[in-house]
Amino acid sequence: MKLVSTALAITLAAFTVGAQAQQITGAGATFPAPVYAKWGEAAKAAIGIELNYQAIGSGGGQNQIINRTVDFGASDAPVDGAKLEQNHLLQFPTVMGAVVPIVNLPGVEANKLKLPSELLADIYLGKITKWNDPRLVEANRDVKLPNVAIAPVYRADGSGTTFVFTSYLSAVSPDWKAQVGAATSVKWAAGNGAKGNDGVAATVKQVRGAIGYVEYAYAKQNKLATTQLRNKAGQFVSPTLAAFTAAADAGDWHNAPNFAVNLIDTAGTEAWPIVSATFILLPKNPVDPERSANVMKFFDFAFKNGDEIATSLDYIALPAGVKDAVRASWHADIRGPGLAAIWK
Amino acid sequence: MSTTMGPAGRMPASGPTRDRRVADMLSRRRKWFDRVVQALCIAATVIGLVLLASILFTLLWRGVGALGLHVFTRSTLPPGSHGGLLNAIVGSLVQTLAGTAIGTPIGLMVGTYLSEYARNSVLGNAVRFVSDVLLSAPSILIGLFVYTILVEPFGGFSGIAGCVALAIIVVPIVVRTTEDMLRLIPTELREAAVAVGAPKWRVIVLICYRAALDGIATGILLAVARVAGETAPLLFTSLGNLNWSLSLTQPMSSLPVTIYQYAGSAFDDWVDLAWAGALLITFGVLALNIVARVMLRPRS
Repeated sequence: MKLVSTALAITLAAFTVGAQAQQITGAGATFPAPVYAKWGEAAKAAIGIELNYQAIGSGGGQNQIINRTVDFGASDAPVDGAKLEQNHLLQFPTVMGAVVPIVNLPGVEANKLKLPSELLADIYLGKITKWNDPRLVEANRDVKLPNVAIAPVYRADGSGTTFVFTSYLSAVSPDWKAQVGAATSVKWAAGNGAKGNDGVAATVKQVRGAIGYVEYAYAKQNKLATTQLRNKAGQFVSPTLAAFTAAADAGDWHNAPNFAVNLIDTAGTEAWPIVSATFILLPKNPVDPERSANVMKFFDFAFKNGDEIATSLDYIALPAGVKDAVRASWHADIRGPGLAAIWK
Repeated sequence: MSTTMGPAGRMPASGPTRDRRVADMLSRRRKWFDRVVQALCIAATVIGLVLLASILFTLLWRGVGALGLHVFTRSTLPPGSHGGLLNAIVGSLVQTLAGTAIGTPIGLMVGTYLSEYARNSVLGNAVRFVSDVLLSAPSILIGLFVYTILVEPFGGFSGIAGCVALAIIVVPIVVRTTEDMLRLIPTELREAAVAVGAPKWRVIVLICYRAALDGIATGILLAVARVAGETAPLLFTSLGNLNWSLSLTQPMSSLPVTIYQYAGSAFDDWVDLAWAGALLITFGVLALNIVARVMLRPRS
């Protein structure tokens, strides 16, 4: 007992000393966690703001900021206007990312396989079951496709990646839209589930004939074979940073309420068709204006200095005009005591 | 068998031979059956051991490769920045120790109450039942409970909330082992103490606790081992922290939560750190269990 109370006294004494000044806490989407961590490292050195970002998932991020247990929330799927209004939240984008199909087909090199969008949908609908299906052969005259069964792999857990991927399939395939639709988890017509981007990547790696979809970083880091997709302009494009940026530039940012821009299947000729932004949720009436100001300072720093970091981790930085629009919305909507603007 | 013992012994002469044949057959069947069951038991044991060995082997294989000095000297950093697990290790130690420090006295006293004061009382039985239910409650529920009383009302995740969640897990374990150990002490010992004029509290503190010390300490160590690896109750309470922080009012890092987040990452250095962390926890808990067993062994 004596030991216990001594230990308690020592720990309490040690912890009252270590208070921190400029810490901000955020929680939410898993997808941007690496880039936020990297921005946090840079911001700590440059402007003395320590970011603690915890990847608890988009749904968790929305709930935590609604309950005001964190300084900001993060979500891959944009939150709808009514919900933002009801909870006094401002939504803004930070970076964009791409979702890419990955395949395991021995003898077929990365980015050689061309997948017309309707065929990708039919594979996941279970209508195309062999890699040497005449329609696939037709689209890939220069590739020798083996007589191997197609094993589609999808995310078993609810995920923003699935939302983006199924949004794309819904946009390009009326059948898909009617039968399955777009959501963070859907009723899959064919294939097997795996948990997380890493689970899908691992399964595709192991199963001959498998096809899956992951965030681009997972395909690149795991050296998985990606494919070409046909975009809205009818061009076949490979997943490259240039193609992702083209999609971001083609987005209609100015008419999107709450920055909830749709970057799926945009019109650019070079654009990769499956791109999406990830969002931050910030209270319009923060409990602690100083912490809220630090959150905005942090993302302002990231917007100014973080593009290279984002690119190095395979994210796509926001266009400059969008960053300015985000700053303007901070100034207009986030109010401290006496309704004074916190962001000047 | 009973056919051979027919009324008035009017069975055929071949009786004894048949008896032996039946007995042989039964004995063969019994032996055969015995062998099958034995083989099944051995197979089950082998499956269990192979699973355990393969888990430990994979853990060693991936974990030792990822282990290095940087794991202990640097805090968690973004991918590619050669981070370590220092903040997570220290956070885990702090929360486990503080959780145990909060939960143990409560558990000890409840266990004492159940064993010494309320053996057959209605209240005692009710407390015992509730404690047993708490013992098997999913730890995520405990996390959610602490979230609603300590995180939401105070507007933030904190190390202290994590400690309280772990303490709530510690309490029923300590209650159970304390009560069991105190009950093992013979009544005669208590009677002898009372006979020489010791009041009840002195009997409990000087006689019962002293006699049951090993068992009670073991229970506390087992409780520590249990909470050291808990992820679920910490997700909703101490959340996690990317930075070095010892402040109990701020979110606090921990090994299980860090492993949970790093294991599924796209980046090899994060995945490696998850393995290193898993190795640290597993062998820490294993060491605690071994210490507990050694302590429980009767002294020669």
